[in-house]
Amino acid sequence: MKPMLKKKNDSLVALVFILPALIPLLVFWVWPMIYSLYISFTDWDFMSPQFNYVGFRNYINLFMDKSFYQVLFNTFYFCIGSVIPTVSGGLFLALLLNKKMKGIGIFRTILFSPWVTPTVAVSIVWSWIFEPRVGLANYILSLFGITKLQWAQSSSLAMIVILIVTVWKGLGWAMIFYLEALQKTPVELYDACSIDGGSRWIKFKNITLPMISPTTFFLAIISTVNALQAYDQIQVITQGGPAGSTRTILYMYYQSAFESYNMGQATAVATVLVILTVILSIVQFSMSKKWVHYQ
Amino acid sequence: MKENKFENSMRYISIIILSLLMAFPFMWMLLSSIKTKEELWQFPPGFWPAIPQYHTFLEAWQSAPFGLYMFNSTFTALLIVLIQIINSALMAYAFTVLKFKGKKILFAIIMGTYMLPAAVTYVPSYITLSNMNMIDTYRGLIISNMVSVFGIFLIRQSFMQVRNEMVEAAQIDGAGHFRILVQIMMPICKSSFITLGLISFVGNYNNYLWPSLITKNPNLYMVTQGLRQFFIQGGAYGIKWPQVMAASSFTVLPLILIFFVCQKWFMKSIGDTGVKG
Repeated sequence: MKPMLKKKNDSLVALVFILPALIPLLVFWVWPMIYSLYISFTDWDFMSPQFNYVGFRNYINLFMDKSFYQVLFNTFYFCIGSVIPTVSGGLFLALLLNKKMKGIGIFRTILFSPWVTPTVAVSIVWSWIFEPRVGLANYILSLFGITKLQWAQSSSLAMIVILIVTVWKGLGWAMIFYLEALQKTPVELYDACSIDGGSRWIKFKNITLPMISPTTFFLAIISTVNALQAYDQIQVITQGGPAGSTRTILYMYYQSAFESYNMGQATAVATVLVILTVILSIVQFSMSKKWVHYQ
Repeated sequence: MKENKFENSMRYISIIILSLLMAFPFMWMLLSSIKTKEELWQFPPGFWPAIPQYHTFLEAWQSAPFGLYMFNSTFTALLIVLIQIINSALMAYAFTVLKFKGKKILFAIIMGTYMLPAAVTYVPSYITLSNMNMIDTYRGLIISNMVSVFGIFLIRQSFMQVRNEMVEAAQIDGAGHFRILVQIMMPICKSSFITLGLISFVGNYNNYLWPSLITKNPNLYMVTQGLRQFFIQGGAYGIKWPQVMAASSFTVLPLILIFFVCQKWFMKSIGDTGVKG
């Protein structure tokens, strides 16, 4: 072996292997993050070539603005309201389907199919289902004697509609990850527990949940990051309304950047979004030490 | 035994009910596209139309250039997938086999961007693209999407499972790195590449926000933009709901078909991603 020579060769070759992904990564991911931070300290309006440095004014304005707190509240509401049902519902489906039965593959495919379809298209379909006058949702309610609801046109229910669409789309995704994790859980563990006379619930609590906890953790992080970026369904169904009740931080970012062309404010919102993502990830990581068990 | 049978049929019934519930929006979409406008606007809604209006599909197809939109989406998504597969494989190979300076830092940078919201990059990326004169072009859309952090991560995970001895044996036989990558690593990790291809295709075909920011020329619309446009024009006052539903149907169906065909590979390797500590 000639380790010195080998290392030298590798570094050159490595460059050839790395650059095709690294260049676009730097241009369209790393650089924009830095540049975005820079713009957030200016009052640039996108059209004019000139702009001024305004220090922290964009940030101060943001935190002085009452509606920003509503946006933050909506964002948390949306994150919690979509992540918890998606992850736990996905686990429930996986437990149901985790058995060798005839035709199980077809059901698995059906349950997963919403994830494959464009959010724009299915949001249109759901907005028809939640149509207040003749929609299917109100028909089902009327069967139980409940009066028609305004759904996406009501500021108290609009977020629920967005959440239903989001959870419906994400359930199958979570299910697939759990199915894989359940299949990797060693059968011997359950056998040992059966000998000790463990009931079903005890088995689930003491064996299944700890065994699949890395998957739960992974799904919690990924779904949170996705929830923070939800846009399509909001744009199609409510456009952030009514009365700002479905305006999340990402939607606010879009509006200030590409509707008001207030780039300074938009990028300040983007910074807050990044900080939120980092905080939520850190919280989940530190909590995970208590409940995630790696083999 | 008896209990088991009862339990199994209960399980079956719940699975069937849940599957029907999950698939119901798709069925409702198809049913709504073959109803007349009057049937759509009656309450309580009927299930099956008196006379199925199959011609609605043709009407919707002709009322906007959906063929062009679907071509645009498919074409750009396929090119993006191809580029992502190549550069993810190269990068993943560098991470798993090659030794070079700054490997740890590079990996940290990549993992950092994995969790960050892509939307944050939109304003600066828009400016970059407009400086490169690539607003309103396929090139701009493709170039700005040509790296997938998820892809690098996924392929790296699966390359890490290839046994070291195989690479070493090939090196002793005098194989270069490109040959090892193409002839050994890629065939072994085929299912991960299929997974990456499918996830990335679905993601790019369904992408809406970013394309709608950078393409304003209707001839370059992605299918999601075209559909949304058609929805605003036709759906707002309930004039064209059957056509809107028909248009949604032919946007959704190709994806469901592709997925049904490919799901065998897909389901298997997708669960593996990133779960291992």
